[in-house]
Amino acid sequence: MSDGFPIQIPDRLPVHIEPCPIVQAIFETRFVSPQPWATMPGLLFAHIRQKYPEQKTLPMAQLPEELRRQDPALLILPLIQFLSDTFLIQLGPRVVSLMTKPNTYPGWSAIQQELRWLLQQIKAAGFVGETERLSSRYIDFFAGDIFTALRLGLQINDQPLRGTQADVTTFFRRDALSIRLQVTNGAIVATKEGPTPGSVLDVDAWFGPLDVDLFGNGLARFAEAHHAIKGLFFGLIKPELLHKLNPTYE
Amino acid sequence: MTTLSLPTKSPAYTLEEGLREPADPPTIRRGASGEWAREELLLRKLGPKGWGRVYQFRNYYESGWGEKGRVLSPRALDAFFRFLEEATFPADRTSPSVFLTDRGGIELCWEDCNGKSVQVEFTGTGAEFYRAATDEEGAVAIDGLAQLSRRLAA
Repeated sequence: MSDGFPIQIPDRLPVHIEPCPIVQAIFETRFVSPQPWATMPGLLFAHIRQKYPEQKTLPMAQLPEELRRQDPALLILPLIQFLSDTFLIQLGPRVVSLMTKPNTYPGWSAIQQELRWLLQQIKAAGFVGETERLSSRYIDFFAGDIFTALRLGLQINDQPLRGTQADVTTFFRRDALSIRLQVTNGAIVATKEGPTPGSVLDVDAWFGPLDVDLFGNGLARFAEAHHAIKGLFFGLIKPELLHKLNPTYE
Repeated sequence: MTTLSLPTKSPAYTLEEGLREPADPPTIRRGASGEWAREELLLRKLGPKGWGRVYQFRNYYESGWGEKGRVLSPRALDAFFRFLEEATFPADRTSPSVFLTDRGGIELCWEDCNGKSVQVEFTGTGAEFYRAATDEEGAVAIDGLAQLSRRLAA
């Protein structure tokens, strides 16, 4: 914790854990574009159709544009999705993202390879003007109450709060990286077995416009954010949970 | 069990009913993660009018506004916030004005303590400024913004 960051990151991180708690990983770029939204899906699809032949319009696209503009949180949501066997690409007027399919995390090297390919296609499509934000986000699911297994919790009268539903969101800065951490023990997740109640650890790590250029250092920034999330995850969990995840090291 | 996916939440999961946030009344607007400090800064330094104008520029102006206006550059906006963090404006003057420039920059104008105009335009690479009191103009890079801010306040 010498750098003032409140979470102690282990020096050595596992290369594999089993069972894998990752529900979904999302690698997102927000941007501004000289192109109108109406042309963007066509520009991108022309470059990715071989690998992502299927497309799906998302419900948010039904909302009138005026309404979406009222809320910045809606403005950056994707409106259309392109699907391949392993990944999803989501596109909106100010956002493009690569997502893993639910509960089928393919591993970082497969993601990195796909990101490299996707960045080339986005560059060729030519609709990204300037990068506004670039992030990696991991959503993990655990059966039961995750707060007992984390070095993080809530207290009332200096006593740990146990057995109640809780949802904690906090925000950290680490050098150029911004990190939003959300932990809840009251989530319902669509697992392979259907909707399942339990806990979620949701970490989003991003760089702002002055620290990222999608076609310059984009790939390296995705990797940095990924690595920061990984370190944060293993810094947060207690040894008992780590043991249950059967970590393997290089 | 019915699960609802709120549009602003991840489709990967939804919170159980007891943890779902009630709809905010229109008087409350929550800042996005990491944005709260910036919103507070805008309100403190530029007042509600300046805060509202920056909000409009970020969300309502697309490429092609006006005649050939460009969309607000995220880098210019970041540069603007870096400057604003260090800026002090005369308390006895009206709040600074904010403008979106044709080339996608953001411009800040105010009067110094003698009523003379000061203008700074933020771009993706830094800022260009003009100070009427000394008829001085120039440009600084991103890493010179804090210094410029202190200099123009002097």
